[in-house]
Amino acid sequence: MNKLIEAKNLRRIYGDDGVQTVALDNISIEIDRGEFVAVMGPSGSGKSTLLHILALLDKQTSGSYKFDGRAVDSYSEDEVAKVRNEKLGFVFQAFNLLPRTTVLNNVELPLLYSGISEHKWEEIALKAIRTVGLEHRLRHESNQLSGGEKQRVAIARALVNNPEIIFADEPTGNLDSKASHDLMKIIRGLNHEGHTIVLITHEEDIADYAKRVVRLRDGRLEEDRRTK
Amino acid sequence: MSTKHSLAIAYRALKINKSRSFLTILGILIGIASIMMMVSLGSGAEKLILGEISGFGGETIVVRPGNRPTGLTNASGTLVNHSLKERDVELLRRKANVPYAEEVVPFVVVPGSTSYEGETYRPFILGGDINFFIDFYDAPLLEGSAFTENDIKELKRVAIIGDKVKQELFGESDAVGKYIQVKDQKFKIVGVLAKRGQVAVFDIDDLVVIPHTTAQKYVLGIDYYFEFIVTASDASLVDKTIVDIEKTLRESHKIDDPDKDDFFVMSLQGATEMIQTVISTLTAFLSSVVAIALVVGGVGVMNIMLVSITERIHEIGLRKAVGATEREILQQFLLEAILLTSVGGLMGIAAGGVFSFLISVFLAKFAIANWSFVFPFSAILWGMGVTTFVGLVFGLYPARKAARQDPIEALRYE
Repeated sequence: MNKLIEAKNLRRIYGDDGVQTVALDNISIEIDRGEFVAVMGPSGSGKSTLLHILALLDKQTSGSYKFDGRAVDSYSEDEVAKVRNEKLGFVFQAFNLLPRTTVLNNVELPLLYSGISEHKWEEIALKAIRTVGLEHRLRHESNQLSGGEKQRVAIARALVNNPEIIFADEPTGNLDSKASHDLMKIIRGLNHEGHTIVLITHEEDIADYAKRVVRLRDGRLEEDRRTK
Repeated sequence: MSTKHSLAIAYRALKINKSRSFLTILGILIGIASIMMMVSLGSGAEKLILGEISGFGGETIVVRPGNRPTGLTNASGTLVNHSLKERDVELLRRKANVPYAEEVVPFVVVPGSTSYEGETYRPFILGGDINFFIDFYDAPLLEGSAFTENDIKELKRVAIIGDKVKQELFGESDAVGKYIQVKDQKFKIVGVLAKRGQVAVFDIDDLVVIPHTTAQKYVLGIDYYFEFIVTASDASLVDKTIVDIEKTLRESHKIDDPDKDDFFVMSLQGATEMIQTVISTLTAFLSSVVAIALVVGGVGVMNIMLVSITERIHEIGLRKAVGATEREILQQFLLEAILLTSVGGLMGIAAGGVFSFLISVFLAKFAIANWSFVFPFSAILWGMGVTTFVGLVFGLYPARKAARQDPIEALRYE
């Protein structure tokens, strides 16, 4: 079974009784294991909303979404938390590291909520930290790091539970050009190792790292093409 | 997530905001410390008074004017009632009325001080029969002699003084035969009691005893008594004697309805129960007043938890995004609140203990010689329980709020 994500006719409507905003309008998308998808579009096009729904952080108003072969509607709150913990990894534009907490402890965070026993945590976290090349920063606190380093810690954190898929919401949005490309090389490397990646960006040169580009406009799918 | 990690996270969060956490803790600390002091001092007072009562023999009966105190509201009734008169003493002494009464001893208390050649001292001045002290409290005379029945009948101005009173007024020189001043009257010292210390309700060494008749007529200008002490010939006859006393006094005071008694009679056991009632009512009342401080402290905890949750909203969103369940978030913040209150509780118990101890030492040294420090173990458990409960109650709302955060909104929060 190779299809990781199967979404059909996704609609997401925000707002209460009065004013309603259609954020996603009938979007259907399928993503296979091992893909590297860049989601592009101007602000307000619905790309973040789509990512949040696909990453089980939000729910569609209508339409169907199967993750890993199972309809998401059938998951309980606790099961959703478990899926987020075991199968999904997140990288955010704002890094979202725990302040005044070491690199190691930041990367270990998802393990806290997993069933993995504590004596294995450091070893697992170390492996993820080595992947992003930050083993020399292990005991540094998050606020002592540069932006690029922070985002690499975030990637290590996303990797630590060996997830099926990594979602990255404009991971280079707060980085300079060099740090952005260094980061994208790491992400591309992860994809080469078999990780599925879904990444939001509005920069073409960042999207160039992906193998498939999905463009949204006004909540609709405008383009979906394989680039490699 | 294990409780151990929740605790570690909670500890770290509190440590990061040290001064804020401490101020929050202080609210709980003060509340619990105050309650601990109330309970400790209440227990100390109870122990003291009960200890003193047990200095009486089991055959002792006390008659006092006024209504029987049942709580705080009417405890003052005994102080203003003038119902016990000399006639009552005579009636109670008649074997036909109270067959098993061995002694009936009336007392009055004389407020004020005494002086000798410019030296002034404030002892406990009692109008009563000195022989009762000598026999009943086993307080022998060191020098001189007791005053007699005749002295009492003839309203002589004679006095027996305790050892401490003698030291204060006369030092090493002789006291017997000298005259001391009580109010505007001069009293001749006829005897000095041997050093004896505290016996029952009296510090024998601090006593000045004059004939009650003299005290009533010449010093106080009253014709009533403050208290009768009646001794039954045997402890087993106490209940019977109480009934006889009540009957006699009702006849004397022309009272038909026992509810309208203008006196009350207590045995040792009755007095014990009454004092326990009064003290525990008082302790409970004061503690509940002080408990309001705990509620204020609890509100402080809730407030600071809400602030903390707003500050750490990204952290909450992140934790949920990486797989924390609502229950795990709830547990984490609840534990943080409980940690705050129970640390406050522990410190409060310790502070309450230390302050109670210091107050006890102070009381024992300067006011009440045989006051002893009591810190009930049950109060410690109770204090821990209450603080945990306060943390639970006031932590629940903020913790639920945290647990129910939508992860996206939390991560986006500016």
